[in-house]
Amino acid sequence: MPDWQRSTLELIVEELQRPVLVDESFDRRVMVQVRRIYQRRRRGVAGIIGAAARITHHPVWAAAVAAGIVAIAALGVVRGRQRPPVAELSREPVQFVLVAPDARSVAVVGDFNDWGLNDSALVATNHEGVWSVTAPVPTGVHRYAYVVNGKDWVADPSAPRSAGDDFGMPSSVLVVEESTR
Amino acid sequence: MRNRVLDAMVALLLVGGALTPAGAQDPRIKTRLDATSEAAILAIVDSARAQGIPVEPLMEKVYEGIGKGADGPRIVIAVRAFAQEMASVHKVLGTVASAGEIKAAASAMHAGVPAVELGKMKKQGGLRRSLTLPFTVLADIVSRGVPVQTAANAVRFLVGAGAKDADLSTFQRNVRVDIEQGAPPAAAAETRAKGATAKPDSRPDEL
Repeated sequence: MPDWQRSTLELIVEELQRPVLVDESFDRRVMVQVRRIYQRRRRGVAGIIGAAARITHHPVWAAAVAAGIVAIAALGVVRGRQRPPVAELSREPVQFVLVAPDARSVAVVGDFNDWGLNDSALVATNHEGVWSVTAPVPTGVHRYAYVVNGKDWVADPSAPRSAGDDFGMPSSVLVVEESTR
Repeated sequence: MRNRVLDAMVALLLVGGALTPAGAQDPRIKTRLDATSEAAILAIVDSARAQGIPVEPLMEKVYEGIGKGADGPRIVIAVRAFAQEMASVHKVLGTVASAGEIKAAASAMHAGVPAVELGKMKKQGGLRRSLTLPFTVLADIVSRGVPVQTAANAVRFLVGAGAKDADLSTFQRNVRVDIEQGAPPAAAAETRAKGATAKPDSRPDEL
């Protein structure tokens, strides 16, 4: 079939199928480059492994490496314990208010301050019987209560009630959302 | 020989660190709970962690019990019950639920809402809608005497109608005030749910 009768596509296919002619030294030159790259990488990896092996064979170095591993593991455990969930990292200011004209003291305790353990309760100030305190609280859902006169547990009358009063004292629920400011 | 001794020491240290239970180094528990209760709580917490349940709410329950002056066995009972509720809601809500949602849903379950109702609500709310506040409101109105099914229908209706958290807070407050003024809880919840959303496409008849 003459070329003028064949489609352009057929001509392209034929051209691509034609073997590429290279000189005889081509294969040899490619293999030289491959060997050179392989040796360079091997030197790097083997060097690192060899150095590590030399260190760990020595008892003093082995102790140092072991101490390092233990320290890193311990750090990881401690940090893992202390780090709150990512969603609860941010804090928002929350005002707690309780109207208690006859109270001598009002404090706020909840899961955001470990329920007042180790003197962590928020102490409210009195404005003619309106007790209030503002504190940053992590975003999320929290349970809390007021402690009046250091002994009486009172739920927040303006907040949702907590269903789980397992210990015979009322609690309220607070949902803190991240502000869009 | 020396290397072997060192290897053994390192292995012991690493294994010891890995097996340290959660909270074992927490002085708040250590100094305020008896040994038996402490061990029981640590076992519950470790079991919960193994199931992929958030354990921080369990520790908060422990601190709450200590803060409220409860004795060890009572704290253990409360923490175990809470862990079981969290496991149930975790199963129903799935891995997409946030820790806040699981905690709030567990409280709703504690109030008497079946896990299946919570699952339906999560399915309806979808992935984007946080149900922490809806679950909280649900637990609140049930604890105020609204029948479980009425409360669940009302909150589900509001979520389905696109009510925002602020709308739900207003709904909860209105239901509370109505009940405090003597309204029957079911009537208060149904009536307030119908009026809680002003969206034109909401259909109160669905309640």
